[in-house]
Amino acid sequence: MLNQNVARGAFLAAVALFFASNALRYPIGDLAHAGPGLFPLLICIPLLIIAGAIVLQARLAEPVPLQFNPRNIALIMASLVGFVIASEYVNAIAGIVVLVFVAGFAGTNYSWTRNIKVALGLIAVAYVFQHFLGLNLKLL
Amino acid sequence: MDVLNNLAFGFSHALTPENLLYCATGCVVGTLVGLLPGLGPLATISLLLPLTYSIPTGGALIMLAGIYYGAQYGDSVSAITMKIPHASSIVACIDGYQMTLKGKTGLALFTAGVSSFIGGTVAIVVLALFAPLLGDIALKFGPTDYCALMLFGFVCVSFVTTGSLLNGLAMCLLGVLLGQVGSDLETGLERFTFGLPSLVDGVSLVSLALGCFGIAEITKNLDAREERTPFNGKIKLMPTWPEFKRIIPSALRGSVVGSFLGILPGGGPVIAQFAAYGIDKKVSKYKDEIGQGAIEGVAGQAAADEAAARTSFIPLMSIGIPENAVMALMMAAFIIKGIQPGPNMIAKHPDLFWGLVASMWVGNCFLLLLNVPLVRFWLSVFKIPYNVLFPSILFFCCVGTFSINNSLHDIYTTAAFGLIGYIMMRLAFDPAPLMLGFILGPMLEEYFRRSMLLSRGSFLTFFTHPISATLLSLLALFIGWQVFTTVKGWRAAAAAGKAQPASS
Repeated sequence: MLNQNVARGAFLAAVALFFASNALRYPIGDLAHAGPGLFPLLICIPLLIIAGAIVLQARLAEPVPLQFNPRNIALIMASLVGFVIASEYVNAIAGIVVLVFVAGFAGTNYSWTRNIKVALGLIAVAYVFQHFLGLNLKLL
Repeated sequence: MDVLNNLAFGFSHALTPENLLYCATGCVVGTLVGLLPGLGPLATISLLLPLTYSIPTGGALIMLAGIYYGAQYGDSVSAITMKIPHASSIVACIDGYQMTLKGKTGLALFTAGVSSFIGGTVAIVVLALFAPLLGDIALKFGPTDYCALMLFGFVCVSFVTTGSLLNGLAMCLLGVLLGQVGSDLETGLERFTFGLPSLVDGVSLVSLALGCFGIAEITKNLDAREERTPFNGKIKLMPTWPEFKRIIPSALRGSVVGSFLGILPGGGPVIAQFAAYGIDKKVSKYKDEIGQGAIEGVAGQAAADEAAARTSFIPLMSIGIPENAVMALMMAAFIIKGIQPGPNMIAKHPDLFWGLVASMWVGNCFLLLLNVPLVRFWLSVFKIPYNVLFPSILFFCCVGTFSINNSLHDIYTTAAFGLIGYIMMRLAFDPAPLMLGFILGPMLEEYFRRSMLLSRGSFLTFFTHPISATLLSLLALFIGWQVFTTVKGWRAAAAAGKAQPASS
């Protein structure tokens, strides 16, 4: 079981180290004439201290199990990526269909007829956006 | 007299047919979206921000403000009728839902509507009087003072919104780091872009907001797999005269508390609601009934909620520093429309400032006249199954992202922030301080570099200027107190742990 509190500290430490290591690639300068890397580096220091404090706190507190359900977030991500790819290579109507049918798997139940109705409704909304609000979405 | 003249000038702008339409649309759309499960004012504004891009500046700001109040009202409706609280309507759940259980839903909704109107009206007077005054004071602020004020705001917001100073501050700092992505303002050097052209202008605010609030919220709701039962009870809106008389004192108390707390850094609707509720529990004539479905339990907090929402515009419009995440998003909307909020805003754009102030009152009237009587219609939103709603919200996230640059590739950024937002949610991080850090980050860097340049690299400059020295001293005291209470808590827990085996 992964402790949520430890994972939280580790996440912050990873982010701080990532930004700090990249900030060091830019000119640092000095305080009076700060380079582009100085300010992000200065921000990473307290972030790293906070990450350490959170890990320390986690060792003193009762462990909390980390709950992570990769299925739904993966489906949502796939539906968004599918929308972009289908809209780019076919058109936005295909994008909407892909979005609705892929995202539908994340729902409590799956229904083809419901998905068709939702997709048709969204295509109508997209048409309104394109023709009345000037949205530059390639529908056909 | 000046204030009255200015307000009259503001009303002449707010009451034009277009602005009235924008205000009404904002209130209605905000209420509808705010009612949806899991979507509070912050998520609602994030989702609807792209709608305002093609609207003239004055109308767009009026519409956004309307969306904000509408979302807040939508929040309180879902809290009172179905006990579905969002961040801004936690207190409404306590007595509001108890009133629903007693069959007094209509009275609770009427009380919330009328109290919000009273709170909003009082707050507008405060806003009209104090914002120009504070704007004059803000002209005395130097770069060190702005830095100190932003740090002070970070700490206050972190503590108030998340309850944990460490978690909140971490999110603020993470936001500041994300704000560093893109071209450096002084040298033009690309930072943290990794060769991606879409990051040269920085991370898109809309992608960050839609990802962290829209997509992450949807996924969280899908993970919960809760089937919500729509509200089908009776609604009788009009109260009796004795009931109506009970609303006024409590609403006035809440208005004063909310107006004051709304101005403070880190303040805003949530803390104001709790404070007003606490005061009513102490001083109300019916204090024994509070907690069991009392009118005062709804009236005071609703007035405070609305008043704080309005007065939280004061620091934004007069100093240029947003005091909470919702205001940070509003600030972004101002900047997108080419308006820099701050001490010069009132002088440079009096039509926008006074028009917005006047539109707040117009928005209040819309909420009272449209939203309260139409409450049964609003509740029908809950009858739409979530399986239909969430693909639609995803589509609106895509359209919102696309509409900024007409680029489908920006949706990848939104999706990436959706994933990051979801991870943060699972790690129990609140993304609200992240938004504040992200929006204020570039400004903080600019003022910090300017302070250091002027002081030739001496940190002592922060302690030689009275405003920054005072703010940083307060900050040090607060952090010291936090460390003291945490260590004390650890010691008490360790002592209890030792005592337990001994006694057993």
